[in-house]
Amino acid sequence: MILTRRNLLKSGAAMGGALALPRFAIGQTKRPSITIAVQQVSNSASLEPLREQSNVGTRIFATIYDRLINQDLPRSLDTVPGLAESWERIDHRTVELNLRQGVKFHNGDELTADDVVFSFGAERMFGEGYVADSNATLFTNVLVRDNVKGKELPAEVVAVAKRNWPSIERVESVSKYKVRFVNKTPDVTMEGRMARMGSEIVSQRGFSEAESWLEWSRKPVGTGPYMVEEFIPDQKLVLRAHDEYWGGRPPVEKITMLVVPEVASRVNGLYSGEFDFICDMPPDQIDGIESHAAFEVQGGLIPNHRLTVFDKHHPQLVDPRIRRAMTHAIDRQLIVDSIWSGRTRVPAGLQWEFYGPMFIEGWTVPEYDVEKARQLVKDAGYKGDPIPYRLLNNYYTNQVATGQILVEMWRQAGLNVEIQMKENWQQIFDQSTQRGVRDWSNSAPFNDPISSIVNQHGPNGQQQQAGEWSNEEMNKLSGMMEVETDMARRKAQFKRMLEICEREDPAYTVLHQNATFTGKRKDIQWKAAPSFAMDFRQGNFAI
Amino acid sequence: MIRFILSRGLRAVVTIFLVVTFAFIVLRLSGDPAMQILSVDAPPEAIAAFRNEWGLNQPIWQQFLDYLLNVLHGNFGDSMREGRPAMDIVLEHVGATLMITLPALALKIVIGIPAGIYAALHRNSLADRMTMMISVAGFTVPSFVLALVLVLIFSVHLGWLPSTGNATWKHAILPIVTLGTAGAAILARFTRSAMLEVLGQSYIRAASAKGLIWRQVVTGHALPNAAIPTVTIVGFMIGSLIAGAVVVESVFSWPGIGYLLISAVANRDLAIVQSILLLIALCMVCANLVVDLLYGWIDPRVRLRSAH
Repeated sequence: MILTRRNLLKSGAAMGGALALPRFAIGQTKRPSITIAVQQVSNSASLEPLREQSNVGTRIFATIYDRLINQDLPRSLDTVPGLAESWERIDHRTVELNLRQGVKFHNGDELTADDVVFSFGAERMFGEGYVADSNATLFTNVLVRDNVKGKELPAEVVAVAKRNWPSIERVESVSKYKVRFVNKTPDVTMEGRMARMGSEIVSQRGFSEAESWLEWSRKPVGTGPYMVEEFIPDQKLVLRAHDEYWGGRPPVEKITMLVVPEVASRVNGLYSGEFDFICDMPPDQIDGIESHAAFEVQGGLIPNHRLTVFDKHHPQLVDPRIRRAMTHAIDRQLIVDSIWSGRTRVPAGLQWEFYGPMFIEGWTVPEYDVEKARQLVKDAGYKGDPIPYRLLNNYYTNQVATGQILVEMWRQAGLNVEIQMKENWQQIFDQSTQRGVRDWSNSAPFNDPISSIVNQHGPNGQQQQAGEWSNEEMNKLSGMMEVETDMARRKAQFKRMLEICEREDPAYTVLHQNATFTGKRKDIQWKAAPSFAMDFRQGNFAI
Repeated sequence: MIRFILSRGLRAVVTIFLVVTFAFIVLRLSGDPAMQILSVDAPPEAIAAFRNEWGLNQPIWQQFLDYLLNVLHGNFGDSMREGRPAMDIVLEHVGATLMITLPALALKIVIGIPAGIYAALHRNSLADRMTMMISVAGFTVPSFVLALVLVLIFSVHLGWLPSTGNATWKHAILPIVTLGTAGAAILARFTRSAMLEVLGQSYIRAASAKGLIWRQVVTGHALPNAAIPTVTIVGFMIGSLIAGAVVVESVFSWPGIGYLLISAVANRDLAIVQSILLLIALCMVCANLVVDLLYGWIDPRVRLRSAH
């Protein structure tokens, strides 16, 4: 280019303009906006993870919030630094975390230790006057505002927080960028709990400025790559790029999630070009979508296993040999291959690889062996009395088809299991008539067996609370494991729990790992996470 | 006349009370809202806290009495999911529903009634048979099937119209056509049979015999007498304006009352379902009342019978 006075002036003006722009806007190209059709955005009409404890909630929270310790989406569920760039175990009760500096909330505020303390405080999590199971709890750094009218936490939020953090003593600010978590009892799962749903960090000012808890929960202020622009329950959620996101400029300008309850409508919308992604696709739709050259189906395994659960108080199921026979009579791989098109798998019992050192290598679900099942039935002296199987109409994907297959498999082993269709969970748990078998699914919210086998089948878990099953040794082990810090002993305890719950005195039997499928435009480069969470951060989206 | 209105009004109040009572009891017997809203995997403590917070652990008669007293004071309860007054949420959705049901009603009337009249006046002709064939197809094909077929043609293959949502006026076209088609078919059949019955009456022959031209016979004698059954059906359609689009709203994700009702039933959001049913009952009762009054206006014989 020839240097003329005019060119020089133009260059000067351009440089001046560039300097006036915010840093993130320099050299940025226009980004695409996308539309995602989902079955539901939020079951509880709230975007607060402590209220919306659901799979659909999991899908959106990674876009709005960060945790101190994140999961390594979209690659795995391993824990990686999030808002804390490093952390250190002071002792078995204490963890100190160094916060990432320069992190901005959606409202422009910088993240400090005060926000973390607030996020785990009474005002947001535990409610006023919270007292833990024993001793006084010291939330010394929480500023309890006088004008909390309209900010009272829903009771279930407090209950979820207490379940997530049963023994937390205090969270305190050490310095502007350092926080300390202190538990009342030794707990090796503290880091895992920080990475679980419900431990999202929110802006203290954002919470304080909201008129009410409800308003806050509809437009929360986090640090995630996208901020909430509009949320209309049961209709849509609009997210806008948070350009100051610490993890890099988000690659999508606007994400619109539309609630489209009908599967056929979601598929048609993908074909017609109205949607770029469609979620919650049943496996039987995969071939149809992939028969179109322009579309593909992504996704797969999520940290959630489908189970058959036993009520050991049923006259036929009191004898563990009958329950064991049921576990051996199931050809799980056949279920996976036939009604899941081979797109999921039979896992190694109620555990996941992201447990890391706590994963029990070599453990499997009971082997498929009809002869063994028949022998167990014979040994138990079973006379063919019916065993009720309470079934919901496809609350879980393929639930009815799976139930019908199971009944036929159990029949092969000589068991007379009768399906009773029910409308809701209340009828499933109803104790006015004899219960026998039911369906369930178990997740692992964090990377330790405490999060699944203890929380679901231990003394405070749903199965025992519902009066279906209990085992003295299992309950003793649960209590021991919660405070055990020696990893070898913890692992041995976990293995023993699996032996009790899945072999000796079956509480449940794992059928298969669950999977979720997302249809999408093939020209969009995007990878589904091994979770319900959808990741639209830099590096995982391009057209 | 006052006696007539009072008796109909009393009947309306009883009808509404029965609807409200039935809805209240059935909803509470058919599932626990805590497990629906918080999910079955929510901690037992959270479910217990929720049930306590919303009074679900009280005896059902106690809950019903509280509800009735509140309704009498104009308080229809709060949505368990949204934490806002249920009736506010319901009324927010009425506009969206009327946006498709009112044009659909107009479509039904504009197409259905003339088609029925034309078919009756040309009985057994090719036009009559064609009209009736289309009419039978129109009301026998379930609305969700018709909706999906329209989406496949106009959204997927032709790409002319959007298939879901309510962002623009174009989004309303397919829902309106879906709703209008079935209604027009029903109206055409009823109008045709009403007209045929009237055209066979002796006063029609008398009118023709005294030298009136056929058009005068039809407009002056046949149509007014055939209007009563047609008005009944139109009245029913007006009563259904609020709730008549449940399936169509679901297929097209149109955020109206039907869409809200499905979501509220699925989530056992009791106050919302009860408020919607109350509103539907009110609409039906009012529409029936108007139809009853219209009978008297259209047919003097009804007025005379009432007077006696």
